[in-house]
Amino acid sequence: MNPSEEIAKKAKELLQSKAVSCFIGYQRATDGVTARPLFVYTPEEADKLVFDQTCTHNLVKYLLSRKGKATGIVVKPCDSRAINLLLIEHQIERDEVFIIGVVCPGIVEARWNKTSDKLKDICKLCQQHSPVIYDSLVGEPVPELQAEAYPDVARIEALSMAERKAFWEEHFSRCLRCYACRQVCPGCYCSECFAERLDPLWVGIRIAPSENEMWNTMRAFHLSGRCIGCNQCEQVCPVNIPLSLLNRKLEKEALELFKFQAGIDAKTPAPFATFKKDEKIGIGE
Amino acid sequence: MSQFISKKDLLSWLSKLAENRSLVAPARVADSILFRKIDSTEEIVFNFYNTNFSPKEFFFPPSEALFSVEKKDGQIKLVPTVTRGEMVIFGIRPCDAKGIATLDLPYLEEPGDALYIQHRKRTGLIGLSCLTACPECFCTSMGTGPDDASNFDIMLTEVEDGYIVQTVTERGKTLLPEEFLTMKDVALPPAPLISLVPSKGITDKMRQAFDNPYWSRLADRCLHCNICSYVCPTCYCFDIRDCTNKGRIDRVRSWESCQSPGFTKIAGGYDPRADKGSRLRQRLAHKLIYFPEIYGPLHCTGCGRCVKTCPVNIDIREIIQDIQKLERESNA
Repeated sequence: MNPSEEIAKKAKELLQSKAVSCFIGYQRATDGVTARPLFVYTPEEADKLVFDQTCTHNLVKYLLSRKGKATGIVVKPCDSRAINLLLIEHQIERDEVFIIGVVCPGIVEARWNKTSDKLKDICKLCQQHSPVIYDSLVGEPVPELQAEAYPDVARIEALSMAERKAFWEEHFSRCLRCYACRQVCPGCYCSECFAERLDPLWVGIRIAPSENEMWNTMRAFHLSGRCIGCNQCEQVCPVNIPLSLLNRKLEKEALELFKFQAGIDAKTPAPFATFKKDEKIGIGE
Repeated sequence: MSQFISKKDLLSWLSKLAENRSLVAPARVADSILFRKIDSTEEIVFNFYNTNFSPKEFFFPPSEALFSVEKKDGQIKLVPTVTRGEMVIFGIRPCDAKGIATLDLPYLEEPGDALYIQHRKRTGLIGLSCLTACPECFCTSMGTGPDDASNFDIMLTEVEDGYIVQTVTERGKTLLPEEFLTMKDVALPPAPLISLVPSKGITDKMRQAFDNPYWSRLADRCLHCNICSYVCPTCYCFDIRDCTNKGRIDRVRSWESCQSPGFTKIAGGYDPRADKGSRLRQRLAHKLIYFPEIYGPLHCTGCGRCVKTCPVNIDIREIIQDIQKLERESNA
């Protein structure tokens, strides 16, 4: 059985036995070559499920709209970290989710109507090829790679302050504040985002460099020590802002300061949710 | 015989136009092709299917001060926003020119939107007809087509060594002096074949499908970002807020979308379109029911940008097909 058939078979069983009322997976998109998320409610519809290297979406975001309802879901290793994030943050219940984890060969560069054999840049840097949490596994588990390298972040860190400022100003100037980065992010679930708050007003609605910078910086900071690296935000950005650089810089900081990576397990509390009186991390000294 | 401009003369003409007005054209920006104000014709991209965003932003900018309030020497002064200088946009595809014509309907309707009128009056539209159909396009089903010159001042169609010139308006004649043109024995190439969507009768079918559970199922995967509205050449919704700016207050209008959560939230916290299905239905219903009921044409030009850019493949072509089918099923 190929991964698509394995997933479809399991989904059918789960729906038939009423273990779940909905199964979230992937189906072929209307361009015939890429994938899109699919919500399956009946065993018959499960035949539409597919899985291949175009299945880029992190479906865990959708679990936030399924609270209190038993749901089956397909996760890649990076997506599985989002499940741990939401468990730690008490957003989902473990016994309400049936997780089919997929050993991930990496996702390929694909745009509307066009796929390739080339792995996404972010997948080339990936250290996590087996899911960290699952009920049922598709594929053979592969050994985890321990060392996290940040060659992309190092390139930006090597720039001068002025160069970095110019780099980000240029990218943020294109931002249209469509909030796709927020809407797709499994870690962005505030019932009222700071971007929409009027009192206090954190950031104005003007789509202009200073407000855009405020939005993008605050979005990234709210995910520091929480971003699980699925890179959906960068993937959906319609003006190609390299958001992974911001997220991965903060991930690198959290790793260096707290030896913490978000979503690796469902037990270790996040650094920003933890206060230790004797903790010294060299900030402000 | 056709009016013709050589590739070399086209560049000289565009350079000449840029001498005393802003020239906007497709340019390469960070892996995208976008309409940008250009300083040299070398920046223009000629080999493109369509730009990632429509030229809507030059008539309805992402953010724009409607007016400002200044306080000076104990006096409070209202300062209107005035846009100066002429502009020409080169390289617009017919679907996007139809988009501008569609924006005209709400924004030029009496009494007219003062800023939109300014932008529209100062801007000449130079089109490039489509010689290739994009896989996501369906313009011929939306009242325009790859060779539709009607919404331009001038439309160019690429042929060997140059372009066939169709001058559509008086402004077009003023913009393009005859010295750049020759007559040539060359005919317009056949228009490419565009995929069809069953748009005929869709307004009625949409109305019948209003309460169908179809919408909430479709909205399952919708992220409710604003991408579809922002890439759309016809979406025209906005929000207004006052922004303080060093002792001056700008009343700013910014793009906003019916897809964003909270778009219809009102005082007291009630949101008549709180669920995802009704938000998604609203966008389609505005395009296929409300707009045509008020203004006539469907509120879509078939440019296919939302189809191509939606992160989760909410495909308006598929929706139109599904809605047409829903009715057939309920009749059976």
